Amino acid sequence: MVTMSSSKNYVVEVVGVSKSYISGGREVEVLKDISFEVGREFVSIIGPSGCGKSTLLRIIAGVEKPSRGRVVFNLNRKPIIGFVFQFPTLLPWMTVLDNVILPLIATGVEKSSAIEKARMTLKVVGLGGFEDFYPSELSGGMKQRVNIARALAIEPDVLLMDEPFSNLDPLTAENLRSEVLDIWLSSILPVKSIIMVTHNVEEAVIMSDKVIILSPRPARVLKIVDVNIPRPRNRKMPEVQEMVDKVYEYVS
Amino acid sequence: MNLNELTIELTISTSLSLGRMLAAYILSLILAIVTGVAMARNKYVESILLPILDVLQSIPILGFFPAVLAVFITTLGPVAGGELSSIFLIITSLVWNMIFGVYSSIKSLDPSIDHLVAVYKLPLIHGFLYIYLPASKSSIAANSIISWAGGWFFLTSAEVISMGRVEYRLKGLGSFIIKAFEEDNTMAYTTGLLALFMVILVSYLIIWNPFTMKYTGTRTLLGFMKAYDVIDKALSKTWGFIVEKVVAAYNVVARVKIKSTHIIICSILPPLLYQYHTRLALDNSLYSKILEYGVDFLRVAPITLIRVYLVVVTGLAVSILLAYISHTRLKLGKIIVMSGEVSSSIPAMMWWPILLPLLKGFPQGVMMFVYLQGSLWYVFFNVLIFGISSLRESIIELSEIYNVKGRLYLSRIFIPSLLPSILAGGLSASGGAWNASIAAEYIVLGDLTVDMGGVGSLLNKQAQAGDILGVLSTSFFMSLVVVFINKTIWARILGKIRGYYVVE
Ligand SMILES: Nc1ncnc2c1ncn2[C@@H]1O[C@H](COP(=O)(O)OP(=O)(O)OP(=O)(O)O)[C@@H](O)[C@H]1O
Ligand SMILES: [Mg+2]
Repeated sequence: MVTMSSSKNYVVEVVGVSKSYISGGREVEVLKDISFEVGREFVSIIGPSGCGKSTLLRIIAGVEKPSRGRVVFNLNRKPIIGFVFQFPTLLPWMTVLDNVILPLIATGVEKSSAIEKARMTLKVVGLGGFEDFYPSELSGGMKQRVNIARALAIEPDVLLMDEPFSNLDPLTAENLRSEVLDIWLSSILPVKSIIMVTHNVEEAVIMSDKVIILSPRPARVLKIVDVNIPRPRNRKMPEVQEMVDKVYEYVS
Repeated sequence: MNLNELTIELTISTSLSLGRMLAAYILSLILAIVTGVAMARNKYVESILLPILDVLQSIPILGFFPAVLAVFITTLGPVAGGELSSIFLIITSLVWNMIFGVYSSIKSLDPSIDHLVAVYKLPLIHGFLYIYLPASKSSIAANSIISWAGGWFFLTSAEVISMGRVEYRLKGLGSFIIKAFEEDNTMAYTTGLLALFMVILVSYLIIWNPFTMKYTGTRTLLGFMKAYDVIDKALSKTWGFIVEKVVAAYNVVARVKIKSTHIIICSILPPLLYQYHTRLALDNSLYSKILEYGVDFLRVAPITLIRVYLVVVTGLAVSILLAYISHTRLKLGKIIVMSGEVSSSIPAMMWWPILLPLLKGFPQGVMMFVYLQGSLWYVFFNVLIFGISSLRESIIELSEIYNVKGRLYLSRIFIPSLLPSILAGGLSASGGAWNASIAAEYIVLGDLTVDMGGVGSLLNKQAQAGDILGVLSTSFFMSLVVVFINKTIWARILGKIRGYYVVE
């Protein structure tokens, strides 16, 4: 259930969310009593493979119902949510521009202003000039940029990212990480919070303000770690390495 | 008739037939898209419609035709009614594989696209215009090739409609050729046939083949890409315009939700059945009668069952062999597919002059030919267009590098790669074979009648005797057999391969 309230300081609150699937006649518990809050910050969720991270993200996005618990948005209206899929999920029969404007048009934005917004975000992710290309003409990294541009173009309150960098080569991933951080830190877009799912501890520590560590399935919150390291960060900083080690302790 | 009159007559007839075909094609397209999308998107619609469609594509519609005609003609008069029943008959010969094509291509869409639709809350109409329609384009293209042939094949039956004693003839190329044949007018007969071949050839060369090549990436087709590009551009432009207007209109008019699924279910079940049902329900001896029909059915069912699956297996073997030849020799392959397109389009009655001499001495052969005509093409086009184009370059390379050749290549690489299309084609082909039994097992040519026995023959005799209850009961029992076989055998095979062949 998604409800709205406006009394506290957070943007998203996940309250006692549990989820189980019926699979092959048996009930499989995936999420168990998950609670955390997200303020105007960058939060990473980290956990073992198959523990339910994507499921949690889909519940926050409101496309899946929790079996118990709820997700509360501290906004005076329905939240706008951007979603960066694990795989680019671009429609092959549409140009880059048409892919990016699709969610805008679906919400009733007029075509000309949708195009304007799409061009802007494409420029932000470094794809200015590629508007009329088809997905098949782009590299893997470029496709993922389109995926990000599409999520940003609708000017989301909350940006959800499901392992956005895990299917890219290390160099492209590195570049794209710093670009996303730049966009986030410069506040050129009205994104209030980012929630990112990842497998990569270092990535989580370098990018986020808070790391939420989940247990193996059924996932519970093992630990929430605040990353109070000044930005810009890089992996060679001793504080970063210390923090990475600390997070690893909970993960393994 | 002098040459001038003949030309005028022929032009008018050809245009009328072409118009009928186009009308039937467009209606089928709309029906296929709406039904296919609804089935792929909605579990309930899927569970209801899937078995119904399995049955509908297998039931020899010709058996019901007198009843349909009666309804159309008595309510709308002979002109509009005749025209409508003719279009209806053509639709019944081309719509099924198009529905299954749309359904399976949307069903096999990447699940992450569902997430995209959900996350960005795409309204139904947007999903339709921007995702489901474009996603089924290649399958619509490939299936149009099969359907277009099926339509021409039924053309003469659809233009010369007999209802007991009364015969309605619609002006058109099919009836033109039949008339010329009956009047022994060689000149008219040959020009008629020529016109028919021209229309079929041209429509394939400048429309269907390039359309399919463009959207499936297949290379086994002959066609004029340049001529088609002009048409494609015009269509794309019109389509883009329509989409924009529809979306704009949708944004203006509040977001109304339409329960499209309900409408479909109601429209697909012919209200006709209901009418007969209420009339017959009053009859006390109804059930014992149906039981009698059931006994008759059981007596003839085994022989038809054997014939149907013999035909399906033959069709599969021939198609796989031709596919292998086409795969190794592209040029030859193009000629094979083009010949298939023409031979599958030749209307049923055009074959009779060739088959007539054979009928007395070798009736089994003629029967098998008619069976194959109604069944082979589903596998043929599925395998030769979809199957071959789904052979992956990387797998071919792999077998070249490791020198996998001959029998090993055929059994380990070639056939497994084609399996999805072989099965899809096989499923439609068995439906087609059941459907063809009515024409294959009971052949009347002039004063010669050949009765080969079987379910088709039974249905044919019942239809001719105007025994509607018999036709309905026999079709019902046949439907049970078809659904049973599809549910047990085909569904199991399909389920098994689904996991193996998701290559990526
Ligand atoms: N629709 C569903 N029906 C049944 N089970 C499901 C469904 N969706 C997910 N699951 C199960 O829930 C569990 C968690 O899935 P989820 O995709 O959320 O994991 P994840 O943490 O994102 O995994 P990964 O790290 O591999 O991406 C898995 O065991 C999966 O099999
Ligand atoms: Mg996941």
